Amino acid sequence: MGSYILRRLLLTLPVLAGIVVITFLLTRLSGDPTDLLLPPNATDEAREAFRAVNGLDRPLWEQFVTFAVKAVTGDFGTSLRFEQPAMQLVLDRLPATAELAAATMAIALLMGIPAGVVAATQRGKAADALIRAVMLLGQTVPSFFLGVLGIIVFAVWLRWLPTGGRGHWTQLVLPATTLAFNLVALIARVTRSCMLDVLKQDYVRTARAKGVWERRVIWLHALRNAFIPVLTVIGLQVGLLLGGVVVTETIFSWPGVGRLAIQAIYARDFPVVQAVVFVFAVIFVLVNLVVDLLYALLDPRIGYK
Amino acid sequence: MSWTRRAFTAAMVASQVALAAAFALPAAAQAPKTLTIAQGFDPQTLWPNGTTASDNLNAGNAIVEALLWSNPADGKIEPMLAEKWERTGPTIMKLSLRPNVKFTNGEPMNADAVVHSFTVFLDPKLAPAYANYAAAIDKVEKVDDLTVLVHTKFPYPPFELMLTQVYITPPAYWNSAGMQGFGQKPIGTGPFKLTEWVKDNRVVMERNRDYWGKGPTGIDRLVWRPVPDDTARVAGLTTGEYDIATNVPISTIKDINSQRDRRVVEVPSFRIFQLILSSLEEHPSPLHDKRVRQAVNHAIDKKAIIDNLFEGRAFALNGQLLRQSQLGYDPSLKDYAFDVAKAKALLAEAGHPNGIEITFKFPTGRYAQDREVSEAIAGMLAKAGIRTRMVSLEPGEFLRQLRNRELQPMAYLGLAPLDDPDFQLAQYRSSWRYAYIRNAELDALIDAGAREIDVAKRREIYQKAGRLMHDLAPVAFLFGGYDFYGVNRKLEGFVPRGDQRFFLHNVTLKP
Repeated sequence: MGSYILRRLLLTLPVLAGIVVITFLLTRLSGDPTDLLLPPNATDEAREAFRAVNGLDRPLWEQFVTFAVKAVTGDFGTSLRFEQPAMQLVLDRLPATAELAAATMAIALLMGIPAGVVAATQRGKAADALIRAVMLLGQTVPSFFLGVLGIIVFAVWLRWLPTGGRGHWTQLVLPATTLAFNLVALIARVTRSCMLDVLKQDYVRTARAKGVWERRVIWLHALRNAFIPVLTVIGLQVGLLLGGVVVTETIFSWPGVGRLAIQAIYARDFPVVQAVVFVFAVIFVLVNLVVDLLYALLDPRIGYK
Repeated sequence: MSWTRRAFTAAMVASQVALAAAFALPAAAQAPKTLTIAQGFDPQTLWPNGTTASDNLNAGNAIVEALLWSNPADGKIEPMLAEKWERTGPTIMKLSLRPNVKFTNGEPMNADAVVHSFTVFLDPKLAPAYANYAAAIDKVEKVDDLTVLVHTKFPYPPFELMLTQVYITPPAYWNSAGMQGFGQKPIGTGPFKLTEWVKDNRVVMERNRDYWGKGPTGIDRLVWRPVPDDTARVAGLTTGEYDIATNVPISTIKDINSQRDRRVVEVPSFRIFQLILSSLEEHPSPLHDKRVRQAVNHAIDKKAIIDNLFEGRAFALNGQLLRQSQLGYDPSLKDYAFDVAKAKALLAEAGHPNGIEITFKFPTGRYAQDREVSEAIAGMLAKAGIRTRMVSLEPGEFLRQLRNRELQPMAYLGLAPLDDPDFQLAQYRSSWRYAYIRNAELDALIDAGAREIDVAKRREIYQKAGRLMHDLAPVAFLFGGYDFYGVNRKLEGFVPRGDQRFFLHNVTLKP
């Protein structure tokens, strides 16, 4: 097990290196940030000074070597816009994003799995139809629309929740629900179809024949077996979640990494864009590793050597 | 009442109190004398000379103050940390500093602090956004503890305006904290001092009890919240989370004004919208002919754009680039009349009886409704025989092209220079990096205006330049924009300036 994890972690190194190279090149392709960060009437002298201070006047390969050597030690350079270490800016905002992601995942699992199970066991009945209709809505309504709708209904009309910000738990409700909506639908859909598959299996019939309570059959025997594909989907959806964070954090003024990312992209703040993409990539890789390890926990037949 | 019932009642009350506490919104939990301001972005730095972005300046200026202040209510320059200022020669300004002012860390605000602040202000590595001024300033010298002489290299009319841009910092603290450290934890002489800054979430400032002036009335605390989304900003204003929301969309004005405790403050902006019509030799196009440029001016129905796209909330330029309140505005000039027949006639006269085809560049997402305005203009031009190939540019690329003189032959542009006629017209001097006209007569007038101290003579120079530009039509004169702020009706004396700057040292928040 330990050697498996080590091997997996080593395998991620080339992936991360590739991501670093690609983001470096892509950000540079987008143009010179000097025009965005200094007023249009700034003098040439000021522009040259800005370029020199930030190393933008050096040839591309030289910029890359300087960047790569430092990046190995975790130093992603200094933000052009904030004039602070780029990685520090990202790490400062990571707890807020982690909090939002955790709340989102909790909502998605607590609502998605029961909905999927109920839809499967009530297949063809009213409950199934209703859940499937909501699922369709959840998968088609974009989060920026849902977020604005949530603000209008729950903050402006009903005055139950604040419109944005972070600090009080009420400020977490709207962004987490908005972000969870798509995920709930997806998890419910996968759970439903896997449950339908599993419920047809012999061991379910055997369990029922043994006289095991129906509730125990469904929630323990069947769900545990249906859960592995669901877990796979969750692992893959972390990417979607991180993308959704960008939009949701902007709408709800949530002080996380997603909002930092969008600001950095607009301002062509190369070091910050690189640091954000790198951190997101690391999270994605790690979450998928954890998912693989969870397989073994759920299914004793799966083992890693 | 039985014991169980009493216990039950007590439990109910307790749970309700707990529930109420749990549900209490942060806005309600705040001290009553808090003024909360929602802007688009979190400041990058609270050192005002660190950038020219208004979101940074508005917040930073509550802590760090400048030498002078230009009051948006009447456009007059008023004393701040400099109590008196007088020209003692054509190139010398004598500043008498306000006595007995201390920074909140105890350092005295004196001539040493002012000389230090000028040194920083003039260093293009530290304050690149203000480097334009460095070209004019020769030296700054201390005379005594409260007197400073500022020498310029030549007679410099916007001297006072420059002094409103020089923010005074405590030298000892600056030297120990460094530029970045200062921007994160500023120390100043202003009515507020920084207490908390949670990045991208809130900047909290508390009243400076030792403030030299009166300061705002009824406000103990400022909270600056970054709210990038327009809808969320307006929603938070409506629910009472914010007392000021900057840049509310035009479509929400009616709704906000209909609320009992909220209103919209409308401010004519310094931003002047125009079409670049390049006549530079290196940009071959039919626009080299003055008549074609005039035809473009005649083909655009400015009033229709103002009325329909901006609901009347934009102002006519009257065929010039200086605003009505600026020195050099010429009341005798009028807008090019909207006249399609005349536009066609001018085109024919210039040798284009069948009209012309031309590339028209515009930004998407840089100005309010930039795409809609550009599309409307293209439609109007087409009716006069000016067929456009429209090129939409992302804001960053748009700015790059502007600076590199690539926004040609025709482009939609809004420029918001500082409030001096020289800053406006210098942008059309042939040597300016984004000038799209080269005219020796205009250059001479711009140079003369930039050195003329006598107000009457200066006005005459700029009026002459205005008439020349009206005839040359280096741009199509479109309209001036507006800025909109949603504010709490209890807030009085809130007068933002046309460059999106607002000041809080003289406002009142009624209980």
